[in-house]
Amino acid sequence: MSTKKMRQQFADTMLEVGLIDPKLSVLIGDISHFILQPFAKACPGRFYNVGICEPLIISMAAGMAKTGLHPVVHTIAPFLLERSFEQIKLDFCYQGMSGNIITVGSAFDYSNLGCTHHCYDDFALMKSLPRTQVIYPASPVEFDTLFRETYRNDHVTLFRLPEHQHEQVIDPSLITLGKGIRMAEGCDVSIIAAGPQLKNAVLASQLLKAQGKSVDIIYIPTIHPLDAEMIHQSVAKTKRVIVVEEHNVFGGVGDDVRKIVADISSVKIINLGINGFIRGYGTYEQLCESIGLSVEGILGAVGKILL
Amino acid sequence: MDNRFRRNIVDMVCRGRDGHIPSAFSIVDIISILYRDILKVDSKKPSWDERDYFILSKGHGCLALYVVLKEHGFITDHDIENFCKKGGILGEHPDSTKVPGVEACTGSLGHGFPFAVGIALGLRIQNKDNRVFVVMGDGECHEGTVWEAAHVSSNMELGNLCVTVDWNGSAAQLCPKDDLPAKWRAFGWNVQVIDGHCEQEIKSAIADVQFSKRGAPHVIIAKTIKGKGVGILEGHGIWHHRIPNAEEYKAIMEALT
Repeated sequence: MSTKKMRQQFADTMLEVGLIDPKLSVLIGDISHFILQPFAKACPGRFYNVGICEPLIISMAAGMAKTGLHPVVHTIAPFLLERSFEQIKLDFCYQGMSGNIITVGSAFDYSNLGCTHHCYDDFALMKSLPRTQVIYPASPVEFDTLFRETYRNDHVTLFRLPEHQHEQVIDPSLITLGKGIRMAEGCDVSIIAAGPQLKNAVLASQLLKAQGKSVDIIYIPTIHPLDAEMIHQSVAKTKRVIVVEEHNVFGGVGDDVRKIVADISSVKIINLGINGFIRGYGTYEQLCESIGLSVEGILGAVGKILL
Repeated sequence: MDNRFRRNIVDMVCRGRDGHIPSAFSIVDIISILYRDILKVDSKKPSWDERDYFILSKGHGCLALYVVLKEHGFITDHDIENFCKKGGILGEHPDSTKVPGVEACTGSLGHGFPFAVGIALGLRIQNKDNRVFVVMGDGECHEGTVWEAAHVSSNMELGNLCVTVDWNGSAAQLCPKDDLPAKWRAFGWNVQVIDGHCEQEIKSAIADVQFSKRGAPHVIIAKTIKGKGVGILEGHGIWHHRIPNAEEYKAIMEALT
């Protein structure tokens, strides 16, 4: 299990891929400037700290794609996704341009910075647009593997880099775009876990095992396209599913799971996510606990769904 | 001043039952000269690697672009006749996914210019000599992204970029403190102010632009008249988005004879 921060892996991957591919170019909005200096030095002329002007950065990246480059844009999620949504929609998606949007500060990672720096509708926004992919890697190897696999394909790809990791060991051979990873086999309830919440799902399943209940845990590094086959197969077996995600329950993974399992009779679904604005401050862990994104929250949901 | 293009524009609007005539009349002289005398483009190879890029950022002026693209063989009479018709490729805003020679989907103001800045940077990164031309509106200069793009392209020294602002007074209707040349100078651009309907001034201004891979970008502030060429269309009245009736059509065509 790596102790490397996600943002460091981002910088390392840019350097390694940039040395191989002269078309990889990086635009940032005044964050991660220093950590990306190795890329800037090794790949001269392909790194720009454009400034605090996110809609422009998105449009510029689309223009760069028009000339054949593989652009990467990077800054804080709400400004790059919510503020610049029309630029993503028109300049990238409609026009058929391809590129990569790499955010930090999604959900409530910047817990003490409040609503202006929270962003928990990014899955929904990106999924609503054609030609998009959404990748949510919560360990360094996932980012590195999935970026190399996708960065120059014919899509606009959001990489949501979380501040916190799931701290689980993932077999690199299982990391592929659009594929879920089965972390535990069980038959009583399915848990679909996104991002760092995998950690709580695993801890909860260990406690449940001691109570004689077995959990099917599916971890989803790719949010869109979602691994419908694996999810359907699991829920067909358990008939009970809990989705755990640091995203708005409207338009998140839970909604997709509902569609995937709609043809299975007598399915119970609980979606642990964000419902309305998160107000107030505290640590990331405290905010998670306040909305049920915790081991206790998952155990409570399992108790309810097995009634 | 090219009345033939203006007549074609009016015919398209009457046939398609939609369109912005005065906004197109404002820029048609600039666009026609760009395509006839300046731009390095090839209608047989619209995606030619060595072409100059032309972005019409004020997308609602696209009728001016369409008649010129037709003149140079990028699109056909059939395309023109099917303006705003089901199955046609020409709508009220230009669509790069449908129209040969159109480099960007514009219409939402403040997108085309920033997109062009990315093209200019992308070309420089790849050490290419292609030039990038933009025509944008003065009303469009109300958009914040325009000034983000002006600021950044100046600091990046994108000397391969030439913007023409159609200064037809739309912006001043709402914000009368409208000293566009001073604003662009303050953002570090090379600024020229010309009569946007005078062929000689348009050609001379563009000829004076010293394109380079690194240097101050260039802006030509073109004083224009919205609806130029037909008295009843000129200015900022009801004609912005209006279709002439039979009587008005006759009067407009007579004025353009």
